[in-house]
Amino acid sequence: MTANYKLDAMLELRKFLWKELTERDIFDDEYWSDNVNENLIPIIPVQQLPEMNQFLSGKKHIVYDKIGMSYDENWLICCEQILFTIYSTDISDINETRNFMTDQFRRMDESAKDINKWTGLSNKFKFHSIYLADISPTAPSEELQGFFSADVILEIKYSRITDGSGRFN
Amino acid sequence: MDNSILLVQAASGLENLMAGSVPGPLKDSTVAQVSAFIYYQSNVIAKLTTNKQFQNKFTTVMFDQINKDFGEYIDAIARSRPRNMHHVYEWKKTGTPSGRLFNIKILSREGLSFKLGFEFKPSKSLVPSSNSRRRHVFINKASVMEAGMPLKISPRSAERLIFEYNGETIFMPKGASTLVKRPGGPGVKNQFVLAYSRFFNGQLVNNSIKRSKFQQVFNSGLTKAMRLPSSIKKVQYKFYPKTLLTQADAALSQAYGGSL
Repeated sequence: MTANYKLDAMLELRKFLWKELTERDIFDDEYWSDNVNENLIPIIPVQQLPEMNQFLSGKKHIVYDKIGMSYDENWLICCEQILFTIYSTDISDINETRNFMTDQFRRMDESAKDINKWTGLSNKFKFHSIYLADISPTAPSEELQGFFSADVILEIKYSRITDGSGRFN
Repeated sequence: MDNSILLVQAASGLENLMAGSVPGPLKDSTVAQVSAFIYYQSNVIAKLTTNKQFQNKFTTVMFDQINKDFGEYIDAIARSRPRNMHHVYEWKKTGTPSGRLFNIKILSREGLSFKLGFEFKPSKSLVPSSNSRRRHVFINKASVMEAGMPLKISPRSAERLIFEYNGETIFMPKGASTLVKRPGGPGVKNQFVLAYSRFFNGQLVNNSIKRSKFQQVFNSGLTKAMRLPSSIKKVQYKFYPKTLLTQADAALSQAYGGSL
């Protein structure tokens, strides 16, 4: 059986982040799109930002992008850096989201434990550590007029579950 | 004074103690052997840290990783916020490594430390234009936009300037120039410098240094070179500094694959 190469640790992290943000009422889930006839998740890849702007209609959202990823000599463990940019017209919304992300993701292996325990995580991944690599101050956004923005960079270390010969399972 | 020189100077005080104990019926090799041991290891460390080839290798390993990580960091910011960072890329290549108009470089080195700085590269691509047949290259695009320098554009070979502004075609009076107050838009001024400072003043550069595996370059060879030669392990009453120095040289070149 071939591995599912569409799976991506960054997307698993995104799902986990969204679950936490909605459970804690930091975001509501009212991002309805008539075009797709369902609620959108307002954590979107940077490549889709131009298309998604119309659906976000001035509401707070998060844009993410992979900075880079690498495997060491220890090829079972992948190290990845992800940039999250939080946008909102209300500066306190940004502070709230940023503070939550700090609280959730600064604890390295403890943060990894949280996502590993989550039942929604694909059983093809195991996270080893999540670390807060950088947080920027909040500033007016040039991209979206009237919005403020702030960056949070997470560094994650994880393994993809493998078969006996080390290939993705 | 360089620490390695101080170390060698301090170790040189051991040379007398390595010369052997005073003549007499009782002989003790302990002082000479311990002195030889410290003398040897001090010289291994001093020779290593002052060796140019090792310094280059050490610097290169670290710089290569920082260069890679910094480039990827700026690329990600540029993709997320193109209006802030488009100016340090070739036209229509914002956020792509091949379109970068910046470099980081080593400004100076001293021992195992080095200073970094950045420079902007000249743009080589044609300024996009939908209505003009005459095309030009904005060579200092990155540096001018980063500095937020106003630009005065004057006709050179043409009679007058004709350009589009807010969807309208503007015909300037014959020979008249126009001033672009904020080339690149209001969001670009000092944005690269800001991102550069964040990378180098925060955790990102530290993470990059850790990832560079410089410890391996340092430790793997040094551990081998620090192993005592068998001559020091044997009971001897006298050690010769020149012999130990030669052995230190040999151990280092063996440990670093002869690159020293």
